[in-house]
Amino acid sequence: MSAEARKDRAFEERFGIRFTRWGKPFWEGTSEGEFRFQVCGDCGNKMYPARLYCTNCMSSNLQWVKSTGKGRVYTYSIAYEYPPTRVSEFLKTPYIIALVDLEEGIRVMTNIEDCEPEDVSIGMNVAVKFVGISDGFVLPRFQPD
Amino acid sequence: MVVVRRTGTLTKAKWEFSRKVAAIGSGKHPSGFFPEKAPLELAMYAIKEALDDAGISKDEIDVTIPESVFVDSMATADMVWSRLIEELGIGKTARHNFQCVSGGSSALSLIKVAAGLITTQQAETVLIVHMDRLGTGATPEFIRDAFGAYGIYEEWEFPYGLNYNLIGSMFANRFMHETGTTLEQLASVIVSLRKWANLNPNALLKRELTVDEVLQSKVVAYPATSRMCNIVVDGASAVIMTSAEKAKKLNTTPVYLEGIGSAVTHFSLMTEPDLTRMAYKRTAMEAYENAGVGPEDIDIVEFYDSYPIFLLMQLEEMGFCERGKAGQFVMDGNTSPGGVLPMTTNGGMLAEGHLGGGGGTSLFAEMVRQLRGKCGSRQVEGARRGILTGIGGQYMDSHVSIWGR
Repeated sequence: MSAEARKDRAFEERFGIRFTRWGKPFWEGTSEGEFRFQVCGDCGNKMYPARLYCTNCMSSNLQWVKSTGKGRVYTYSIAYEYPPTRVSEFLKTPYIIALVDLEEGIRVMTNIEDCEPEDVSIGMNVAVKFVGISDGFVLPRFQPD
Repeated sequence: MVVVRRTGTLTKAKWEFSRKVAAIGSGKHPSGFFPEKAPLELAMYAIKEALDDAGISKDEIDVTIPESVFVDSMATADMVWSRLIEELGIGKTARHNFQCVSGGSSALSLIKVAAGLITTQQAETVLIVHMDRLGTGATPEFIRDAFGAYGIYEEWEFPYGLNYNLIGSMFANRFMHETGTTLEQLASVIVSLRKWANLNPNALLKRELTVDEVLQSKVVAYPATSRMCNIVVDGASAVIMTSAEKAKKLNTTPVYLEGIGSAVTHFSLMTEPDLTRMAYKRTAMEAYENAGVGPEDIDIVEFYDSYPIFLLMQLEEMGFCERGKAGQFVMDGNTSPGGVLPMTTNGGMLAEGHLGGGGGTSLFAEMVRQLRGKCGSRQVEGARRGILTGIGGQYMDSHVSIWGR
């Protein structure tokens, strides 16, 4: 087993997350401070989360591009009780979960940080920030912009 | 309950298979906590009741279609590998057993599969059954983590702490934002469902509540309070379906499938463009056209709930209320016992109890019972035609079926 595979296994056991092979460029991007998404080289379709083939034309000619990381809150909720126990290591209640519409026209599930629960609102401007959870796992979250 | 609704003028049914298939009986094990009972016991109780209700022998069942058992993979395996055929002693005559599941919309999937088998003469009499023990068959931690994992992207959503309470509330917040629906109106859905549950001996949460009591319980996933979230229970339901031809020969009141409309739109909320509508408008239209009826011809609606927002959305998208008006419609008591449009008359998963993928099967059993006039104190008098809906996963699909006596 390679060092990388061992690291993946340890991570899976700790957090219960299995990462996909085709999503790797996204997570490499977050480690480098970039929020990336896929664009189809044939039809221009923009995709998030990572796909194996274009969801519009089934092309495998997919390219990763960098988002500005800026967007607006489409909707949100705030977790106060009964969050999944497996996220407790890196997420404390109350936390804000939101769907954010990025400028490029893709919608992402995320957390809003640096914002009091009572201050979050639909339509508010947010920008990406990168939060190191553990070695090699940098999670993109958003903050008021 | 005395509710008499005007029955509109019917146009000719357009769907070739309209009224060709019927539900002839239903059974239900109460929803609650039964740690002493195996999933199979719950199922057999519901099956026996359904057979007695239909007035047929178990030997007339030629196809059995169980759902999965969410908390018990070995019980699920038993269902896949034809345990029911043996328990019912129908191995000499039965033709087929297989599992059918699509999460919360499983009942609608089962209905369509059963109807297809019956109309193509691959089945004559089909037993549909769901059983589960979400209430006592797993630890609270397992349930919490399961509802933060199943139907949720492990890589793209799970790390943000997503679960179904939060999903329901993200729908609700956007819906309130766009339509002006208030939190009090949203809470009034619970008031309506509790009134029905109060009349349902099989329901867990029978105590009636006021809007204030709903809103004063602790906030779980803003804006949802604990009383606006469902509670997981043990239970089982069974329905028997057969051909219209056979149903007419039986000494029973058949409930015919008149129309059905379906759409499946997404896996994750991230790719569903409009969280305030989803696909109900077009699936309801398809079902109405199939059945040759409109909303004015519907006496009861058995809407799949799981969270209050989905009942408001369905009322609006299926033509019962204008956009933004469903909240007030419910608050005014129109969907409660005695109201003009009885809605989710078993109390739904929010009051009868959440059975996982089987919540919709319990609702199907309720629909059959209502239209057959066997609902006791919660019976809607004169109920001749109803809508049954189903939704699964992250509200990934919008199924609408219309049933008539």
